[in-house]
Amino acid sequence: MKTLLETAGLRKVYTAGKIQIEALRGVDLRIREGELVAIMGPSGCGKSTLMHVLGAMTKPTAGKVVIDGQEISGMGDNELTRIRRDKIGFVFQKFNLLPTLTARVNIDIARYIHGNGVRSNGHDQHLREILRLLMIENKMGRKPSELSGGEQQRVAIARAVANQPAILLADEPTGSLDSKNSEVVLNMFRELNRKFRQTVILVTHNPELAAFTDRLIEMRDGVIVGDNDSVSWDTEGELAQPAPSV
Amino acid sequence: MIIAGLKARPVRTTVSLLAVALEVVLILVVVGLTSGISDETGRRTEGVGADILLQPPNSSLFLALSNTTMPIVLRERLRELPGIKAITPVQTLVNSSAGLEIIYGIEPDTFDAVSNGFIWHKGRLFNAPDDVVVDDIYAKAKGVTVGDTVELVNHKFKVCGVVEHGKGARLFISLKTAQEMTGQTGKASLFFIKLTDPDRVETAIAEIKRLLEGYGVIPLREYARLMMSNSMPALDAFISSVVFIALCIGVLVIFLSMYTTITERTREIGILRSLGASKTFIVTLIFEESAAVCSAGALIGIGSSFLIARIIMAVFPTLTILITPDWITRAVIFAVLSGIIGTLYPSLKAAKQDPVEALAYE
Repeated sequence: MKTLLETAGLRKVYTAGKIQIEALRGVDLRIREGELVAIMGPSGCGKSTLMHVLGAMTKPTAGKVVIDGQEISGMGDNELTRIRRDKIGFVFQKFNLLPTLTARVNIDIARYIHGNGVRSNGHDQHLREILRLLMIENKMGRKPSELSGGEQQRVAIARAVANQPAILLADEPTGSLDSKNSEVVLNMFRELNRKFRQTVILVTHNPELAAFTDRLIEMRDGVIVGDNDSVSWDTEGELAQPAPSV
Repeated sequence: MIIAGLKARPVRTTVSLLAVALEVVLILVVVGLTSGISDETGRRTEGVGADILLQPPNSSLFLALSNTTMPIVLRERLRELPGIKAITPVQTLVNSSAGLEIIYGIEPDTFDAVSNGFIWHKGRLFNAPDDVVVDDIYAKAKGVTVGDTVELVNHKFKVCGVVEHGKGARLFISLKTAQEMTGQTGKASLFFIKLTDPDRVETAIAEIKRLLEGYGVIPLREYARLMMSNSMPALDAFISSVVFIALCIGVLVIFLSMYTTITERTREIGILRSLGASKTFIVTLIFEESAAVCSAGALIGIGSSFLIARIIMAVFPTLTILITPDWITRAVIFAVLSGIIGTLYPSLKAAKQDPVEALAYE
């Protein structure tokens, strides 16, 4: 299977005033196309930081990060933006829909930014299928304030996958939902993964969410402490060597 | 997205629109007023019907600012020149008690010969030293009619007639009275000269200049053009100051509006960046929103300017506000310019925001 995400010796250090905070302390990770992965750990373990790096929202301090064959460590802002636009779809805990726009326009904005403003039949067909799968076809004319939490999150998922990104990253996607809507949303992720072979990475502190995924990566204190990956790296060739510190 | 953004904050959008409109109104009405007064005065002077205006040396084109005079006997020498049909002397006074009003002291018979006479609405010509003839616009503005008393240059005058406007001044008294009031007996501020053949204006001017060296001699058809504001350096400076102040108002309000907008929408900007929007996209979005406000504000400003001009001219009939296509274009450009300058810093600040921090902004 094609490797979509790969990190080697990944470190991320934040500076808060005079204090340096090492959020990631050497993360080695490989995620393949079509996987449904949960990254789990307690608050402050670095999982959100890992998501931001994997999503090209920020660059690593040291180490190697390869997203769909492109190494991002030396990239500038424009290149990172392009990676985000072309390869990544984000789903956030707080939905992060644009409040003044309808659900339809929230999705269209993503397509416009991607350059899919001129609609092709293929894209429209895909989007229609997604909206049907997410059961939000008849909610498109509503603004976020007129939608329930679950509906908002499903619109956010539709926005994230509208451009068929290589990777869908979801940061605590059920954190603002009740249990019923949480289950609906998690089932949606699984459907996307099964039906469209969408690579999905869920970041969470909730162990129940892990049951919906095929693979669980556990983090603690900025490092990976567990990974129930059924495929051995050795069968895929040599382990990537970490790059020198940036 | 732009319209939605503007509609989401209606008060701020309205204030920004009104500020840009105010900027445009300030420019168009003030410039229109100065241009209008100059232009209207010039056209009224042209309306006397003469071909040439003769003034003493060192006179100002602005009759209200000129107090030089010349002997009336000079016209005898001018009459000897070929092609001269009629010459009428005028002694000008300025009444400054309520604004700035020019009064013509005239010889009725020679003034008629040059101007083809007044068109009378009411009354008659003066036959007493304290009689005054007013034009219809003055009569309407001051609410006076035949028989009423008006105070001009600290003298009381009785209105003896009301005439159609457009013959130079709005107020006419006898030349003798004007000379006595100014202590210029036997003198005049200017001559209006009518030719038998108007096409000979340039030739006649050359002959008059040879005869009277140093005197101001201009074809009257040029007078209105010379009176226009762009021929007067002091007025240019005034207009430039007004335009600069208006521009500053526009820049500051747009800056404040856009700055608070991007602060409030930090999270939205973070969302767009997480979707892959480039810095250029963010800057363009902010500029487009500003452009929408400035364009709409400019349109409102233009419409308001015409409305305000109408109201002012209805309340003060002696005033003219001239709003020209040239200045409308300039006002719109200034409005857009103020939008660009005011938006520059906020848009660049918005684009530089870190997407992770922006998404975490509460």
